[in-house]
Amino acid sequence: MKNVRFIILYVVFVIAQIVLCNFFGLSRYLLISVLPVLILMLPLSWGALYSMLFAFALGFAVDFFSDGMLGITSFALVPVALVRRFVVSIVFGAEKSARGEEITVERLGIPKVALAALMLCSLYFVIFVWVDSAGTCGFWPALLRILLSILVSTPVCVAVARLLRPQ
Amino acid sequence: MARHGTFYAGLATAAIFVILEIAAMSMLKRSSPLQDIWINRFSHNVMAVTWGGVNRIQDYFGLREQNEILAGRNYELFKELQHYKEMEKALMAMSKLDSAGLPPRFNYIPAEVTAMGTNSRHNYIILDKGSDDGVLPQSAIVTPNGAVGMIYSVDKRYSYGLSLLNERVSVSARVGKEGLVAPLVWDGQGTAHAILRDIPLHLDVPVGDTVLTSGISAVFPPDIPIGVTAGTRLIDGAVNVVDVNLFVDFSALRYVIIAENPDRRIIEEMER
Repeated sequence: MKNVRFIILYVVFVIAQIVLCNFFGLSRYLLISVLPVLILMLPLSWGALYSMLFAFALGFAVDFFSDGMLGITSFALVPVALVRRFVVSIVFGAEKSARGEEITVERLGIPKVALAALMLCSLYFVIFVWVDSAGTCGFWPALLRILLSILVSTPVCVAVARLLRPQ
Repeated sequence: MARHGTFYAGLATAAIFVILEIAAMSMLKRSSPLQDIWINRFSHNVMAVTWGGVNRIQDYFGLREQNEILAGRNYELFKELQHYKEMEKALMAMSKLDSAGLPPRFNYIPAEVTAMGTNSRHNYIILDKGSDDGVLPQSAIVTPNGAVGMIYSVDKRYSYGLSLLNERVSVSARVGKEGLVAPLVWDGQGTAHAILRDIPLHLDVPVGDTVLTSGISAVFPPDIPIGVTAGTRLIDGAVNVVDVNLFVDFSALRYVIIAENPDRRIIEEMER
């Protein structure tokens, strides 16, 4: 029952992300994405291999259904999936990763989940903005865009994590 | 075993990661012209760096062969340079000799010292010119600084001479341009010293006068400087000998001139 709820909510957040991409272009300097936390919240029993394949498919789906460039989200999300277990080991402890326990905000606390989300969001937005600007954007505007996106998306990601696994 | 499994799993993860990123990039290239240009530029840069690196590595390993070729060329150029240097020195020596006003009746052949002894009482000198070069026995060996010796025998390519540092060699010398004439011999007291012997007691030889070849000989051209007088000594209460400091530095001798008198045979026949 818990898994069904998780899957339904997961799909809802993916759809929400697509809708956000399509209809809520807030600013040129602001991107909101919950995809890093959707990768973080995948079962820890999944290794990097499955996580990356899933991240690729997820990124493809988001790009396909939104008016963005096909492939850019996959390109930024696959590295997030690659380092996910490493981030979990650093932030939550190696035994958590080894035992394959699920990540919940209630048990692990908001600061740790926020830190993990921050790390993954940072990686995601650095790659995303780098590829999206394609050398046409200067360093400081790109940095501003990355920082603003991380600043806004990290709390959203924590909220999403809390909703996905409330207990 | 577990370590091997972890290694292969890591390898597979890395491979899948690269494949997925390349796939994402391919999609990105097709979907956006801007990103297409950017990726092309990026890939060109990567290719340039890669090929540049490969070329640098190839160049590095090709340096050994290049070095061998350069070393060979260097050797050839060195030989050529030495040849020209020797020619230049010989020409300079000849011009000095010409400016010294040597009599034109002598034939001069520049030569290089191949070997020379200075440690015995009968020292020799071997030169790199022989009968093929026109060298004849009984020719004088000189430098613009002074007399060196005389040719004793010749080979086709080399000639053997007796240096002034040989007790058997005697050179007819003159003190000053118009001074007394006496035989100059080596007394075995160092390579920079010789004596004028058989000087009559009543003749006074001042110190510091230049000693030259007298020309009263079919071997040595006249007025070749030999050294300077350094003092007079009485020998056996009968005759004086004059000490002479030689001009030629035999320890640093390398290039000499062979002076050959073409009229020597005629003069010798007339003397008989």
